[in-house]
Amino acid sequence: MKKGKRAFNGLTLVRVLIYLFFGLFLILPLLSVFLVSFTGQPVNLLGSLTDPAIFDSTIEKFKGVSLDAYQSIITSKGYFNSLVNSLKLAITVAVLVILICVPIAYGIARTTMPFKRTISALCTIPLIVPTFISAYAFILMFGRSGWITAIYQKLGGDGMLIDPYSMAGIVIVQVFFFFPYALWPMVAAFKVSDITLEEASLNLGAKNWFTFVFVTFPLALPGIISSALLIFTVSFSDFGTPIILAPKELNLLVVEAYREIAGFYNWGGAAILTVVMVLVAAFFFWLQTLLTKGRNYGSVSGKPKMQRLNSHSGLTKVLSGYSILIVLVPFLAMISIVIQSFATTWGKDFLPNGYTLKHYQTIFTSSLGNIQNSLILAFGALVLSVVIATFVSYFVVRQNAAKLDFVTNIPLIVPGIAFGIALIQTFNTAPLQLTGTALLLIIAYTIRRLPYMIRSTMGTMRAIKQDIEEAAINLGATPLTAAITIIGPLMLPGIAAGSLLVFITVIKETSISILIAPAEWAPMSLAIFQNILRGEYYTAAAMSVILVILVLFLQAVANRLSKND
Amino acid sequence: MGAVTVHQLNKEFSGVKALNNVNLEIEEGEFFALLGPSGCGKTTTMRCIAGFEDPTSGTITIGKEQVNHIPPNRRNCGMVFQSYALFPHMNVFENVAYSLNIKQLNEKNVLAKLGVYARLLNRRLGRMPKDMERKVMEILEYMELDQYAERLTSELSGGQQQRVALGRALVMEPAVLLMDEPLSNLDQKLRHSMRNTIRRIQQDLGITTIFVTHDQEEAMSMADRVAVMNNGEVMQIGKPTDLYSHPSTSFIANFVGTSNSLHVNSAIQEGMYTILKGDGFTLKTLHQSKGDGTAIIRPESIQIHHRDTEMNPDSMNILEGEILISTYLGSIVRYEVKFANHQLIVDATYASGESILKPGTKIKLAIDPERVLVI
Repeated sequence: MKKGKRAFNGLTLVRVLIYLFFGLFLILPLLSVFLVSFTGQPVNLLGSLTDPAIFDSTIEKFKGVSLDAYQSIITSKGYFNSLVNSLKLAITVAVLVILICVPIAYGIARTTMPFKRTISALCTIPLIVPTFISAYAFILMFGRSGWITAIYQKLGGDGMLIDPYSMAGIVIVQVFFFFPYALWPMVAAFKVSDITLEEASLNLGAKNWFTFVFVTFPLALPGIISSALLIFTVSFSDFGTPIILAPKELNLLVVEAYREIAGFYNWGGAAILTVVMVLVAAFFFWLQTLLTKGRNYGSVSGKPKMQRLNSHSGLTKVLSGYSILIVLVPFLAMISIVIQSFATTWGKDFLPNGYTLKHYQTIFTSSLGNIQNSLILAFGALVLSVVIATFVSYFVVRQNAAKLDFVTNIPLIVPGIAFGIALIQTFNTAPLQLTGTALLLIIAYTIRRLPYMIRSTMGTMRAIKQDIEEAAINLGATPLTAAITIIGPLMLPGIAAGSLLVFITVIKETSISILIAPAEWAPMSLAIFQNILRGEYYTAAAMSVILVILVLFLQAVANRLSKND
Repeated sequence: MGAVTVHQLNKEFSGVKALNNVNLEIEEGEFFALLGPSGCGKTTTMRCIAGFEDPTSGTITIGKEQVNHIPPNRRNCGMVFQSYALFPHMNVFENVAYSLNIKQLNEKNVLAKLGVYARLLNRRLGRMPKDMERKVMEILEYMELDQYAERLTSELSGGQQQRVALGRALVMEPAVLLMDEPLSNLDQKLRHSMRNTIRRIQQDLGITTIFVTHDQEEAMSMADRVAVMNNGEVMQIGKPTDLYSHPSTSFIANFVGTSNSLHVNSAIQEGMYTILKGDGFTLKTLHQSKGDGTAIIRPESIQIHHRDTEMNPDSMNILEGEILISTYLGSIVRYEVKFANHQLIVDATYASGESILKPGTKIKLAIDPERVLVI
C-alpha cells in the first residue's frame, strides 16, 4: 500500500479517530500543563474552543504569563530541593543497581553457575509487586517493629539497622525491586560478545580476568549504560516507594507534585513540577535511545553464536551465593507480607503471636468491591488497548505512519504522576468534565500502557508478511475487511499475550489510581494505599497478597499464551 | 476475460525511476511473460497492473476499462504470489472460498454481512451457501486438491500449496491471471511439471495470463510472447523463437540463452554476404549491418573440427583456435576456445564414446554465415 491519494475508506476513519484520541487525551493535557506552568492558573483549552466567555478569560490568563513559576524553581527552596533530591535518588539507584547486577548478569549469561533457574525465577518477583507494597514490606522487615530489627536488636544492635523512612530506605527498596529491569538487558549485553573474540584474547596470551576486563566487559558496556539510564527513568518516575517511605522533610518531585495537587490544589506549582519531571524523564529516555540506536541485542541472526561458559568452580559458587543473597531480599519481603496477612498481631518479634484468616474475611466482606473495580477497570483498559494497539501497529508497520509511532511512544517519558496531574487539570471542567469518572481512569491506564502493548502487537504484525494482506485485497477484500478477517486472526496470539500484560500492569498501577480514581471506583491498589495510610496494615497485607496472586495467575496465563504461539 | 494494455507507464520510488515508459499490449487469452534480471521492474509492472502500486504516470487498461483509479480489491486480477501468500489460519477449502465470501459481503444486507464476517472468523459460526460450496469443490477437484480440502495449508507440499494459490486466484474468475515468480520456490523436478500444469490450465481456460520470471527457460518454454525488461525499460517483445534468433541487443542475446559477442569495426557488402571486420578476425554474414556493431554467435552455431576435414571456405566461416577449458555437461560439451584475441563459448553435442578435447588442442571452427547475427 502506498500513501498518498487514496479514497477515503474505513481505515482512514479509524486512523483519524486514533489521532483524535491521542490528541485529546495525551497531547492536549500535556500542552495545557505546559501552559499552566506559565500562567500559574488552570487553563481550559477545550472550553476556550466552545465557549467565548472561557476563551476571553483564557486570553486574560495568557496576558498574565510570566516566568515567575520557573524562577520559583530556583528560588523556592522546596521545589529546587525536590529536584535535586529526585536526581540524587535516581542516580544513586541507577549506579547501585548496575553494580549489583553486573555479577548476576555475568553469572547468568556466561557461567555454569549453579541454581541459575531458581535465581532467574526469583528475579521475577520484584516485577510483579507494585512498589508501594514492596515499600510497605520493607517496613515490615526493617521498621521500628520489623523482624529484622528484632533480630538486630537481639544481636545487641541499637535502634534500627536501616531506617526505612529515609532516603537510604527508598534507595534500598528501589534497588532491590528495580534491579530485574536492568538485569535482563545486561544478560543480553554479556551474550553479545562473541566467543571468538575472547578466544582471540586468550590465544594472544591474556589471562581470563584480563579478557573479562578488557574484552567482555567493554563489549557489554553500551548495554550496561543503557540499562542504567532505564533504571534512572524508572526510579525517577516511581511514586509508590517515596509516597510510603519519604519522611516529611525529604522533598521528592513526585511526592511534592502529588501534595501540591491533592493537598493544596496549587495548579501552577503542580504544573511546573510536572513539566520538570517530563523534561528530565524525556532527556534520559532520549539518551537511552541514542545509545541503543542501531543496536540489537536479540538473537536476530540465524547463526547461533557459540558461547563459552566459565565453569571455574570457585567463581561460580561465589557468584551463585551472591546472586541468591540478592534475590532473597525481595523474596523475604513478599514472605513478610504473606505472614502479616495471616497474623493476629505481629509486634516486635521474629514471628507473629498467632495466625488467623480474619483479614481475608474482612476483605471478602467489605472490600470485594475494590477487587471488582480493579478487574472492571483493567478489562476496560484491555479492550481499549487491544483495539488501539492493533490498528496503530497496522498503520505503523504497513503504512509507515512514523508520526503515529512517535505519538504513541510519548507516554514512555511521562511519569504516571505527571500524566495524572495533566489529565485532572484538563478534564475537571466543562465541556469535557471527565475527572472523577471511570472512563478517564480507563483512558489514563490505556494511554500509559499502550507503548508496551503496541510494541508487542507490532512485533506480531511484522511477522505477518505483506503478501498475505495483498492476497486478501487481490481477492476482493477492502483493506478494512482484510484487516478484520486476515490480519486480526493472525495477530490473535500476540494480542492475547500483550493484552494480559496490560491487564496485569493496570492492576499494579499506583500513581494514576491514587491520583484520579474516584471513591466509588477505587481499585485494589488505591484501597491498599488507603489502608496503609489509615494504619490498617493487616488488611492491606491481605489485599496485597490477593493482588499479587491475581497478577501471578494472569502472568502464568500470558506466558502460556505466548509459548503456544 | 480481457486484453491488457499498459501505456507509457512510469513509476518512481522516492525519486528513483523504477519503470521508464513501459508499453505492453497483451492480447486476450495470451500467455505473456515478463522476463528480466532482478530489479528490472517486472514485478513493479505487475504490481501496477494489480493495483498495489500507483503509477507515477501512464495508463493501464484491462478489457475495455481504464483501471488506474480502481482500487486493487475491485480490479478482478487473480494473483499468484511468489510466496503463495496462503492464509495460514484457514484450511485449503477456506482459502479457495475466501473471494466468494468477499463477493457475498459486497452484495448482501447488513445482517448477511455479519454472517459472512462470522464464518470468515470461525467456520463453526456459519455455513456457505450450497452453490458456492460446490463451486469451491469444483475448483479443488480441477486442481486435484479435493482430498486435501480440510488440511491446513502448512501441511501441504510446495507443489500443492502452489496449486491452492492458483485455485484461489482462479475461483473468482479473474479477467487476468497474474503470476509473480510462482515456480521459484519449487525444486527443479516439480518446477518442470508445474510448468506443464500451469500452461495446460491456461490453455484450458483461455485466460489472459501475465507471468513474471527471471528464468529465461521458464519464460521461453511457457509463454506465447515474452517482454524482456532491464533497468525499468522494455527491451524487446516477441515470440520466444524470435527473441532467441533475432535479439535486438546484446543484453537480450546474453540474457536469452548464452551467446558470444564480438565487436565489429567495419562492415562491407560483398555480393550476398556482409563482411565483418573486427580485432583480428573477419566474418561473413547473411544479415545486414550498418558498419559499427556487434556480431552475436550462439554457442551451438559453432562447429569444432579438430581433424583435417574438407570444409568449404566459400559457404562457411572457418576460424582457427585452441581449446582452453572443456566442461562436460551431459548431453553437450562446452568448450572455451581461444580465437585471435577473443574467447568463444562453443557447445558441441556429445555422443557417448566420443573423447572430449583436451585444453591446448588446436582446432578449426566453422560458423554458418546465416547464424552470425549482427546488432
